[in-house]
Amino acid sequence: MSIRHSLLALLSEGPKYGFQLRQEFEASTGEIWPLNVGQVYTTLQRLERDGLASSDDVEDVERQKNYRITELGSVELSRWLRTPPDLSEPPRDELVIKVLVASRLPDVDVYEVIQVHRRYIVQLMQQWTHLKEDESHFDLAFALAVDAELFRLDAVVRWLDAADGRLHRAALEPAPEDHVALPSIRRRTGAHR
Amino acid sequence: MSMLELRKISKSYGQGANEVDALTDIDLSVERGSLVAIMGPSGSGKSTLLTIAGSLEEPTSGDVVIDGVRLSGMSRNDKARLRRRSIGYVFQDFNLLAGLTAVENVSLPLELDGVSLKKARSKGMEALERLGLGDRATNYPDQLSGGERQRVAIARAVVGERSLLLADEPSGALDSLNGEAVMRMILSACHGGVAAVVVTHDAKLASWADRVVFLRDGKAVDETLPPPTPEELLAPDVPNPA
Amino acid sequence: MDDFRLQSGGRPSDGGLPARRAVMRWAWRLFRREWRQQFLILALITVAVAATVLGSTVAVNDPPPKDAGFGTAQYSISFDPYGSKAQTVVTKVEHDGTVQLIENETFSIPGTINTYQLRSQAAHGPYGGPMLSLVSGHFPSSANEVAVTSGVASAFRLSIGKTWDVGGLDRHVVGIVQNPQSLLDAFALVVPGQVANPSEVTALFDVPRNDLRSIDKVLQANVPSSTVSSPASVAASNPLNPETISLAALVLGMLLIALVSIGGFTVLAQRRMRSIGMLESIGATDRHVRLVVSANGTVVGVVGSILGFIIGFAGWLLYRPSFEQSAHHIVGMFALPWLVVLIAMVLAIVAAYFASSRPARAVTKVPIVHALSGRPAPPRQIHRSIVPGIVFLVAAFLLLGYSGSTGGGDGNGGAPELLLGLVLLMPGLILLAPFFLSLTERVSRRAPIASRLALRDLARYRARSGSALSAISIGVLISVIVILASASRFSNVFDYAGPNLASNQIALHTGFPPQGVTIVHRNSKGQLVRVRHHKTETATPAQLSSGAEQIAKGLGGHLVALESPNAQLNGTQGGRSWSGQIYVATPQLLRAFGISASEINPKALVLTSRPGLAGVSGLSMDFGTSKQPVGQGGPAGGIKSPLIQEVSALPAGTSAPNTVITEYAMKKFHISESLSDWLVLGNQSFTAAQISSAQLTAASQQLQVESRNDIPSGSTIINWATLFGILIALGVLAMSVGLVRSETSGELRTLAATGASSYTRRTLTAVTAGALGFLGALLGVVGGYVAMIGWLRSNSLNGGISALANVPFGDLMLILFGMPAIAAAVGWLLASREPAVLGRQPIE
Repeated sequence: MSIRHSLLALLSEGPKYGFQLRQEFEASTGEIWPLNVGQVYTTLQRLERDGLASSDDVEDVERQKNYRITELGSVELSRWLRTPPDLSEPPRDELVIKVLVASRLPDVDVYEVIQVHRRYIVQLMQQWTHLKEDESHFDLAFALAVDAELFRLDAVVRWLDAADGRLHRAALEPAPEDHVALPSIRRRTGAHR
Repeated sequence: MSMLELRKISKSYGQGANEVDALTDIDLSVERGSLVAIMGPSGSGKSTLLTIAGSLEEPTSGDVVIDGVRLSGMSRNDKARLRRRSIGYVFQDFNLLAGLTAVENVSLPLELDGVSLKKARSKGMEALERLGLGDRATNYPDQLSGGERQRVAIARAVVGERSLLLADEPSGALDSLNGEAVMRMILSACHGGVAAVVVTHDAKLASWADRVVFLRDGKAVDETLPPPTPEELLAPDVPNPA
Repeated sequence: MDDFRLQSGGRPSDGGLPARRAVMRWAWRLFRREWRQQFLILALITVAVAATVLGSTVAVNDPPPKDAGFGTAQYSISFDPYGSKAQTVVTKVEHDGTVQLIENETFSIPGTINTYQLRSQAAHGPYGGPMLSLVSGHFPSSANEVAVTSGVASAFRLSIGKTWDVGGLDRHVVGIVQNPQSLLDAFALVVPGQVANPSEVTALFDVPRNDLRSIDKVLQANVPSSTVSSPASVAASNPLNPETISLAALVLGMLLIALVSIGGFTVLAQRRMRSIGMLESIGATDRHVRLVVSANGTVVGVVGSILGFIIGFAGWLLYRPSFEQSAHHIVGMFALPWLVVLIAMVLAIVAAYFASSRPARAVTKVPIVHALSGRPAPPRQIHRSIVPGIVFLVAAFLLLGYSGSTGGGDGNGGAPELLLGLVLLMPGLILLAPFFLSLTERVSRRAPIASRLALRDLARYRARSGSALSAISIGVLISVIVILASASRFSNVFDYAGPNLASNQIALHTGFPPQGVTIVHRNSKGQLVRVRHHKTETATPAQLSSGAEQIAKGLGGHLVALESPNAQLNGTQGGRSWSGQIYVATPQLLRAFGISASEINPKALVLTSRPGLAGVSGLSMDFGTSKQPVGQGGPAGGIKSPLIQEVSALPAGTSAPNTVITEYAMKKFHISESLSDWLVLGNQSFTAAQISSAQLTAASQQLQVESRNDIPSGSTIINWATLFGILIALGVLAMSVGLVRSETSGELRTLAATGASSYTRRTLTAVTAGALGFLGALLGVVGGYVAMIGWLRSNSLNGGISALANVPFGDLMLILFGMPAIAAAVGWLLASREPAVLGRQPIE
């Protein structure tokens, strides 16, 4: 999550103070990503340095600095919104590695390992779901963010289910080239990390 | 007292060499007001568990106790009466009788139980209105959208004083928002004192439950811990996705 | 359990009336939604009830009314002639009760062989009311008034207001009357006392039963030739009560309908399986579920029987005017056999109820989980055992045999056994149907995929196809029995029942008006002369010949004299003795039928067109002398097994010279001949006008005209029976193939998705129809043979089993192979349509 660009987006609505930016950031992301004031000001200073935002030069310590977006900042925001995140390379996912390792260790019940993770994730999902259960203070931004998290976790559960099924099937009819599967994935995707 | 209690339920199909164990020694207890989800891959026996809990099928061994009444040894007619009075089903995609309007579908269990037409109709209307379908009451199922049909099915499942709601992939044929709406309704029924069991392979739906039971090869292998309190949610160990 | 009961709040455990009402409502909606699927069953019931209403009304009203000739009286005595002894009897009856006398004098209508009666009958007599009604004008009230029937009026060109010399007096025609009980009754009505020489007097009377015996005694003493008759005694002489026949036909028809409908309702119940499963999951009891399916069936029955009644009654109202003309008596608008109609409607409902209640029971046996999943239930294994069916067939066989042997072997006794035997045949066939279906599975193993699928489905879903097969086989059974029975009866070459005269043939026979008729004819001066016709007058052969020539000339036809030899053929075959007139094979006769002398074996004694006669044994030819005609006092001589030659060019008609004695035989045995019959051969069919003018001429020449009549010949009956069997079978197939295959419409979708062409679809339907048709025909023919062999086996008069030797092979082949071929062809043609929706399953 780019705080930089989120702050730029907030500034594109009009000039804002630092504290106000922090509040609006939290509100717009459904208050699920807490942000401390320090982070806000560091980011704002960087934006100013890069010429994406400007502030009125107020010497008065009592008054807060009022930040506004620059033309360059608007261009950068527009570019960023349309740039797809880099999904081409598989992230080095800890869970994937754990399951892969568990599947190769003879003394470990890989299904049990999978289930531990599955339960944990479902519990996480339960927590997120309970957050949106109460519709009385419905918040669109919050709902979108919670959905994103739920779908992400759901994908993990699904992967666990698929892994479970695949391992199960492989155990029933062991494939001879099982041990070369991992290197071949690397080669094909060209991941070097 | 539990609304639904399964004690050491086992179910096997076929005979001799072809015998397949669909369920083995399942114990489950669902209190009034609670929503339990049963998760598992296809073929794990979760639908069978639901039909056994709902008296549609007999377990090979074990006891089903609904609202303190043991099902074993009950006649077919008594089971039918139990279903009319206590159990509501919601299936994946096929829930309504095509020849009956929405309100007639909803009031059908009451009428089958001998409630007068007028009273059954008004209770059915009430249930539909609670689910926001009052204006669709006289529509036939083929005039309703998939989500509306499912909502009518839930209205029927909870109409009257029925207090055990059994749902098998209740949002299977719906998109995620309609599915969420269906789960919300089931949950609100639970808040009204209904005990609900939802069978699904979808973690997003299961996460609505107070408790998720994991089924694997006919055995209950695991279940989630009791739901966290709001305080726990605010605790620092909640993972920060940012 | 206790708190469970507490919840019930005193409501009935099965939901009581509200539950039944809710379930019925759903059944009604289902009927409304899906009446198209049930259209075939509905149409079947509607047509059956309509046909029953119309058919039984016509059948019951076709014969003269039971009280025809009696009016409202209980008894009648007819005196012919009416003399002083008869008056003694009437006086005796008058002493015991009220009497109404109807006096008749018969007159002939000039130039015709028709007669009318001068009748005196009190217009408002105590009993004669139903026998006399006024069409227009008024009844005669004085001696110089007369009322006539419309027939008499047109014969004598009379109308109201004209004067007519009748009964020796000029009378004013004052009214047109009719006898509602017999429109053929042609008479001129005058007041009592105006019939001078009554030739027949009928006394209608009512007396207590006890007095009847003393009346009868007086009657026997005075006029022993007359008897007391009553409507009951007349009815008793007619054992085939049309009501009974229509009821029997009705029961059989409903059995067929129920059989076809079972298949239909089974498919329907299967299609609704998921809905029914859901109903059960909601908490409907087995009773509720059965109620849904059978309420639907009952609704179909009720709607069908009401529609059928309306259509049948409307048909009757439309048909009534022309029916009255052909039945020759007036029939009331509501003269329906109400009991039969009521039974028909009730039976239709009962048949639909039973047809639906069987699948209803089956539905409740399906586990709810299976029902809900919509998985087709694993096909139920109906007992494949052939034993129960065989047991029924054997029982039917024995019963029919017993029936055939009772009553002195004449086949007229043992009616209950006959009926029971025929009834037992049906369950026999129904029970055998599954076995026959299981045969298809074996046949199918090496067949190509589409045929294999069709045949295997037939075998797998026997519950459904079995009922269709039973219905077809019962339809075929009925026609096969009729074919075999008429074949065994009509194929007898001795007791010959060939076709009628051809429509271009007329036979002339010597004949006279009946005795006692007053003939009125014009004499040489053109005056009308009355001659009381009391004894047989004989015209000379020359006069008769010239009369025949005159008629032939009038018809523009060729006259063939038929000489009767003083000889006859004798012998019995199959319990039946020789019948039929034989003639002499004169050169003229042979020439008329294009037979040249060279075709004839010079040693042949008899020529015949009767197929198979040449080969039989046991026939003898007897002949008499001029002093001692054959048949009177025994033959003068005879030979056994005369040489018979079959000549197919001779006419086949029963009244035509189908068997002739050669001139060689006539000379060899010195047989004399006489001339009393002629045959007129026309170039084309004679019209009704030609025939009636020939009749007019014949009446004045003491000849009688015989023309083609409407009595069916053996082959006509067989052809109709064949047609009936084929139509029933095709009808049942049309309904059931659709039903059998509709279940597998999902399969069709899959087939189409896997790239099956329309060829596959066509093959599927054609093979299903053809196989069902063939199996049904086979089963029906087997059943028919079992019945006929059983019956004829011990029935010597009807020829024993040998009577089955001459079955019409062609007709049986037509049923056995032609009908399935038609069914397959129609199936092939109609199956071309692509299933409308391939991807989507309709909402249930």
